[in-house]
Amino acid sequence: MVDSTAFDASARIGSLVLPFPTVGLSGCYGSGAEFAPYVDLSRLGAVVLKSVTRRPRMGNPTPRIVHTPAGMLNAIGLQNPGIEWYLQHDVAKFAQTPCATIGSVAGFSVDDYAYVCERLAARSEIAAIELNISCPNVAHEGETFSCDPDLTARVVRAARATTEKPLIAKLSPNVTDIATIARAAVDAGADALAVVNTVRGMSIDIYRRKPRLGNVTGGLSGAAIRPIALLAVYEVARAVSVPIIGQGGIETASDALEFLLAGASAIGIGTANFTDPRAPMTILDGIFAYMAQQNVRSLREIVGTANTGFANSNQFEGDEG
Amino acid sequence: MILLGVEAPKLVKSVRPGHFAMALLPGGQAAGVALGIYEAHGERCSLLFFITGDRTRRLGALRVGETLHLVAPLGNGFDCSGKARDIAIVAGGVGIASVLLPAQALLARGARIRLYYGARTAERLVEAERFATEGCELQLATDDGSRGHHGVVTELLERQPAPEAILACGPTPMLRAVSAYAQERNLPAQLSLEEAFGCGVGGCWGCVVPILRSSAQAPSFPPSDADGSDVVHARVCVEGPVFWAHELRW
Repeated sequence: MVDSTAFDASARIGSLVLPFPTVGLSGCYGSGAEFAPYVDLSRLGAVVLKSVTRRPRMGNPTPRIVHTPAGMLNAIGLQNPGIEWYLQHDVAKFAQTPCATIGSVAGFSVDDYAYVCERLAARSEIAAIELNISCPNVAHEGETFSCDPDLTARVVRAARATTEKPLIAKLSPNVTDIATIARAAVDAGADALAVVNTVRGMSIDIYRRKPRLGNVTGGLSGAAIRPIALLAVYEVARAVSVPIIGQGGIETASDALEFLLAGASAIGIGTANFTDPRAPMTILDGIFAYMAQQNVRSLREIVGTANTGFANSNQFEGDEG
Repeated sequence: MILLGVEAPKLVKSVRPGHFAMALLPGGQAAGVALGIYEAHGERCSLLFFITGDRTRRLGALRVGETLHLVAPLGNGFDCSGKARDIAIVAGGVGIASVLLPAQALLARGARIRLYYGARTAERLVEAERFATEGCELQLATDDGSRGHHGVVTELLERQPAPEAILACGPTPMLRAVSAYAQERNLPAQLSLEEAFGCGVGGCWGCVVPILRSSAQAPSFPPSDADGSDVVHARVCVEGPVFWAHELRW
């Protein structure tokens, strides 16, 4: 294995600096603790918690998961205990997590996002907030926010007013022009963007003659959406100059490097954790091996270098330290 | 049928009846498969399954000497303590993979075990003789009548003297029938549920079942919604896969 101390693979998300660019994605890595018996979480850049809403949600009926070619559909439906219970019973446990913990907020109105964001961001266990404005699996408006630049801006602005902590807007790929949404989020104060959430999809059982998911429709993830996600990162990286967490079907170090070269500063690993809980660590090993082989001392040197219109190329020059 | 033996001495020491494993596919690129842990003895565990699709085909293609990564043991397992002496184990199809360890544990404490075992065909009624050798009394059923009772296995259960307690693992319609049978007679019944899994370790909330919030298996669950409903969605992989029939609200 490569001596990783000789290479800098850190990633910056607003004021948050992650020692590694690998992020365990919301709903795919629990709070980290669920995977702790099997992996070394101190070798993960950060974990993004499952989204929390203002009120408790029971989530969708089962089946919630259907395995599909090169990926899977899910429709969990934002099952969560609601912010009050979460603050009282769950958040304190996250202090034990050996990597940065990023909270995730979902809602059904602009006010919901601001309300939950303010309360969650106030907690010292939470290093940053992801605004999940792109959940495709809830009955009302879940995804509407990130499909409309004005709604995106209103949610981000309202959340921005409640906290100084890094705000990450998670964008939907189910839009005509993701760059427009990205600009709206950044203009409203997002420190970083997560690109992308799942692609809407469905599957039908031909013998039961019914949709396979309890929710009928779901979000497609896994290798099947990787080229879609990569293009979204490429386009967003040309439109805005904030850090991007590239996500969508990343399974290997090679996949991760494609996203970094397209303009992502960090990469999110979701469905690949279900293939192997060690995926984020295996990907990190591969990134270090690539850096050694290609003589890349700092991962930031290569971010966006395959993207001629990369808007963020001077991002780190003015950094203190 | 595939019976995959694995050298896993640490797993043998930690596994309890009703635990399962997530078998990571050799070469990756698809989610792991949740499999019942069939045998555990000495240095070896075994996993029993049928080839039903691409993922099980890839597992079935493993050859002697190759490495298989298991995330295991997982789940809560069956409670095999208790004082019941006359116990029915009901298994359907691949559910048989999860009931040998509890059968052995119960036989070891002197219980009488009647195994009610159903499958589509005689050919699919695998390992029945193994259970007889262990000391279980067999009650077999097949959908096509090619062996044992022609019909579903719960019909056999209804025809015979009721046991004191029931353990069951199999397809959901069978488990629902077992649950109804047990609740009509006020018998304690533990059901090991089937559900589509994502991670298998509690991180994705993909595999859930509605259960009473007052259940011991939902100790720290909040009310499921704002109106204070007494039903919550528990995870089959962590709070289960074994649930008490009378606590399910499915």
